[in-house]
Amino acid sequence: MILLESIIDGIRDIRDHFGRTLLQLVGIILGAGSIVATFSLSVAGKAQSMEYYKVSGGIQKIWVSDKPTGKVTLDAKALASKGLTYADALALKRDAKEIDLVSPVSNDNMTIRYMNVEKPRSVMGVTPAYSPMNDFHAGTGRFITDNDLTSAARVVVLGSERAREFFGSDNPIGKTIAMNGTGYLVVGVMEEKYFSFDKKRNVMRWMNRQIYIPITTMVTRKGEPLTSGKISFMHARMRDIKKNEQAVDEIKTILGREHGVVDFEVFSRIANLRRNEQNNKMYDMLFMVCGIISLLVGGIVVMNIQLASFNERVREVGTRKAVGASPAQIFFQFLTESVLVSIFGGFIGLFVGRLFTGGISLLIRSAPIVTMSTCIYALTFAAGTGLLFGMYPALRASRLNPIEALRTE
Amino acid sequence: MSAIFDYQTPAETPKPVAVSTTAKALIQLDEVTKTYDSGENAVQALRGVDVAINRGEFVAVIGPSGSGKSTLMHILGCLDTPTSGKYWLDGEDVAEMSSKELARIRNQKIGFVFQTFNLLPRATILKNVELPLLYAGISTSARREQAMEALKRVGLDHRSKHRPNELSGGQRQRVAIARALVNNPSLILADEPTGNLDSKTGSDIIRIFEDLAAADETIVLVTHDPSIANRTQRRITIVDGQIADNSAMETP
Repeated sequence: MILLESIIDGIRDIRDHFGRTLLQLVGIILGAGSIVATFSLSVAGKAQSMEYYKVSGGIQKIWVSDKPTGKVTLDAKALASKGLTYADALALKRDAKEIDLVSPVSNDNMTIRYMNVEKPRSVMGVTPAYSPMNDFHAGTGRFITDNDLTSAARVVVLGSERAREFFGSDNPIGKTIAMNGTGYLVVGVMEEKYFSFDKKRNVMRWMNRQIYIPITTMVTRKGEPLTSGKISFMHARMRDIKKNEQAVDEIKTILGREHGVVDFEVFSRIANLRRNEQNNKMYDMLFMVCGIISLLVGGIVVMNIQLASFNERVREVGTRKAVGASPAQIFFQFLTESVLVSIFGGFIGLFVGRLFTGGISLLIRSAPIVTMSTCIYALTFAAGTGLLFGMYPALRASRLNPIEALRTE
Repeated sequence: MSAIFDYQTPAETPKPVAVSTTAKALIQLDEVTKTYDSGENAVQALRGVDVAINRGEFVAVIGPSGSGKSTLMHILGCLDTPTSGKYWLDGEDVAEMSSKELARIRNQKIGFVFQTFNLLPRATILKNVELPLLYAGISTSARREQAMEALKRVGLDHRSKHRPNELSGGQRQRVAIARALVNNPSLILADEPTGNLDSKTGSDIIRIFEDLAAADETIVLVTHDPSIANRTQRRITIVDGQIADNSAMETP
């Protein structure tokens, strides 16, 4: 009941001294605003990188590269090693329990010719697993199939940009193109892949510029026996992202067994993501600290103005005490006012923060996401500031001697 | 917990409330002294005051300034506690109560009327009168009802929605009287209630007190104005911290 009356009093106080209240609240408004801005941008950034991972095959993707990176000198055994082979991919697929999809890739440059257009282009030898692994599918026609793989068929699937390059507006499917002088039947054209952080540049454009043939075709074309044929890298997909480490260990164990030496490197997206999260957390913390510092400064201003306005309220406190307000009642009444004023500032801060993020997102071209929990965070911190810095003025009011308070002119 | 809010220095522990079996009077002061310890020279404001005031009495406390009548008034009003001696109010020993307990006594047993009215300027008349009930924890609807009733008794129920600065001095003092009445106190304490009013308005205010006295309210009125003191039933004259004259008036 007293709480309700205090709230009504607090609102009346805000209304009666609106200018002073706003001035009092600048720090809290900016503090809450910067908390909102920080969280909104950080949430938006995380959402975007998650979206990127999703579009490019999900966070369960593991990249196996055929050279240990970061090591300057390789020992003789590693130097002599053939690197990753198609057999490694088969071994992984056969033995790894935490892996449900293996996609070996072999890169090569070939001369592509159709009619009178002839260009050197990079070509990827892949298995059917490439498509689900990268969440990248044929738009028309079909992708490489198991049949193509076992028969090392001379079929080719074109990225959308390559299809336009060689065929213009014609339908390429069923046509034959020459690759290093050998004819390949075009069986499919990939869908258009698009993802942009800034709504301008398509960071997936390179995928639209690919040309795919069965990996078996590519390896045997090079004149190498299929199983020991060298591949460029492979992707593997883990069954369960919670078992990230097991999956990575399993790959290392199996490949180590096959090679007898560690001449490969395994990168898991999850580990990468976690590392990024660590970095993001640091930035979040940094901005949070800025927000909290401005809240603290704001809190000191609130306290100052509370103490300044205190003098004109001494008689009021005396009167309230004379009619029977206990010290605790006075304390909570004043504290409620501080908290209320601060929450009010927090609310304004929400809108100011939204304006901040609007401005920043124009610069970095990423849409901010203001979530409910962000708003609750900001308001909680604002209320906490009011609570903390309202303590002292409230305590002073509660300790006023009513006789002296009533005597004050 | 409440100790941190206390404005009095000594650490107080709640004492069982002593109930007087002998005191029949509403107010009984036994050997009450009050010493203000301001640095080196202690000032003795009250030097052993014995007073008894019965229920329904209309009493004036008079005396020159510096006589100790303000101090007596503060002790009677439970705004302050005596240095020594006993103060029984309505059967309770209030002399050694904590500031929290004194707040409860003020809230439930005492109604104040001040020289400077002391209304909350930003609250409506109704909210001002409701104030003691708010701290008593009375429900909103009951507060409103009792406050309107008290305003009716001083003839101001039609101004309940106004702010104090929209009222004349006399009207403000009537609001203050309504506020003093609203919690049905055992004692109404008025400290120079006509001091800020012209004589005509002041006389009207005293008439309200007379009406309240006729309705069996107990009223203690502090004044330096003999013409006002003469309208009460009994005068307590205080000089130099002691009762100089404690006589019932001849009923006219």
